[in-house]
Amino acid sequence: MDIEQRQSELIDQFVKQASAASNTSAISSVIVDATSHPLLFAFSEILALPNVLQLEATDEKFYLDLLRLFAHGIWSDYKSNADRLPQLVPDQILKLKQLTVLTLAETYKVLPYDQLMQELDVTNVRELEDFLINECMYAGIVRGKLDQLRRCFEVQFAAGRDLRPGQLGNMIQTLSDWLSTSENMLVSIQDKIKWADSMSEVDKKHRKEVEEKVDEVKKSIFKKLHTVSRPTSTSEGMRRSALNLVE
Amino acid sequence: MASSSSSGLTFKLHPLVIVNISDHYTRVKSQMNPTLAPHNNATNNGGDGVVSSLPPPRVFGCVIGVQKGRTVEIFNSFELLYDPSTHSLDRPFLEKKQELYKKVFPHFYILGWYSTGSDAEESDMHIHKALMDINESPVYVLLNPAINHSQKDLPVSIFESELHVIDGIPQLIFVRSSYTIETVEAERISVDHVAHLKPSDGGSAATQLAANLTGIHSAIKMLHSRIKVLHHYLLAMEKGDVPCENSLLRQVSSLLRRLPAIESGKFQDDFLMEYNDTLLISYLAMLTNCSSAMNDLVDKFSTAYDRHTRRGGRTAFSECCLVLVSRCLVLDSFDALFQLCRHRFLSSSLCCLGIGY
Repeated sequence: MDIEQRQSELIDQFVKQASAASNTSAISSVIVDATSHPLLFAFSEILALPNVLQLEATDEKFYLDLLRLFAHGIWSDYKSNADRLPQLVPDQILKLKQLTVLTLAETYKVLPYDQLMQELDVTNVRELEDFLINECMYAGIVRGKLDQLRRCFEVQFAAGRDLRPGQLGNMIQTLSDWLSTSENMLVSIQDKIKWADSMSEVDKKHRKEVEEKVDEVKKSIFKKLHTVSRPTSTSEGMRRSALNLVE
Repeated sequence: MASSSSSGLTFKLHPLVIVNISDHYTRVKSQMNPTLAPHNNATNNGGDGVVSSLPPPRVFGCVIGVQKGRTVEIFNSFELLYDPSTHSLDRPFLEKKQELYKKVFPHFYILGWYSTGSDAEESDMHIHKALMDINESPVYVLLNPAINHSQKDLPVSIFESELHVIDGIPQLIFVRSSYTIETVEAERISVDHVAHLKPSDGGSAATQLAANLTGIHSAIKMLHSRIKVLHHYLLAMEKGDVPCENSLLRQVSSLLRRLPAIESGKFQDDFLMEYNDTLLISYLAMLTNCSSAMNDLVDKFSTAYDRHTRRGGRTAFSECCLVLVSRCLVLDSFDALFQLCRHRFLSSSLCCLGIGY
């Protein structure tokens, strides 16, 4: 959430620059600035500007494609379309790789090192870990744990990327699923509470019954002892009467 | 009377003050009741017997704390007597109390005063002005004792005095200020304790379980209502009623990505292990209870049949058998439990129990 706050000023600034830019080269330079800025990860506001969309019709169309790539695409998209897109400066390459990590974190919570190395074009684990730690975690876009033994990266939090048009429907679906799960949970908790209360009632009744039985048996034993002890008061007689009672 | 303050002071209120004020009010109100009861029956012709025919009492007191620059932190409070004839607070008592508090808390100053009621009144200004010689800008903390179940915020408001020109005459009026609640660890523990008050005969497991589950239930209910709000907002955004706000959408998508939070295999393993350990412990407790009950039975058996040892080695033999069986059962169960449970803490506690045996 603090990423959004940090970005909001930058977004406003770039939006102003882009709307003020009059000709296509100015807009394309704004786009290049925006995509190389180390703290900016959100491009959909700039994409929505009418000036920028007008680039579609001009020769500089590939700058618009570049912006779209940064908003929704990943590193392998760039590699496959490298001929149609302008050359990227190292800042932009770094940013695109960071955005790739964000996209991967969207679909899986546990990212194996091998997959990450393949997607990011990194050859050894040390470089991968350095990249993850320095560029992603210290930048605050990703939070998670690196598990070296199982060679995977567990993502606990990842910042959001710009939304594709179809993703809104998915998000709404997920939210309604979450809502129904929590409603079911509430109902089952209430059932559990009722069960606990009823079980305690049953337990109390049982306890009372057992105590009543014990009282009855005690009374009947006393009565028998009193009736038996009158004729014979020797210890032998007591023993015999006790035996009779137990058997 | 109350608009919002513009003095720029930030107020921090400690929960101790709120608890003190409400305690003072409750004590005074409950002490009033026995004297009111005969009054009521006489006047109401055997009416409802409710003792709220008189307006609720107003209690007064002083608040103390620390002021550092623009931050005013109110830590504590004490009670004061109000003299209705002179419309002022008991001054000598206040000064005595101030001296005493200064000895214990040298950093605390008198920051203002408190009272109860629903809104600040004109007569309060006299008291306020009287305190102005101790503190040039005292604060007035007002607690509304009326219980309103639909209200979500605390019924506590803080007023400051400002010089406004009304009809050409500069007058002091009360203006409301905002405040935040600040707690020390000790206060947090006591507030938590009060919030979790269980019924006094709640020793049985069922009521404790019910109380625990009720807590979880209300927490999930709150979560549910908040997700509902998000859901409606997104639906409205999809339909187009609300303009698309991209940063919010990004935050929601990052939130939703954390969602299948308990699905992983590792969680299942840990969860099942802890669940099994808990079941084992309750099983062990049951076994211990049963074996001690059996021990008692065997003792009673042997005292009842003690005189028959000469008559039959049979009864002594059966008694020894019973004792041996019960001891073996316990030892076997301990062995089995040791092997079954992998939790280190559990096995060490079992060790202690085993030594006892």
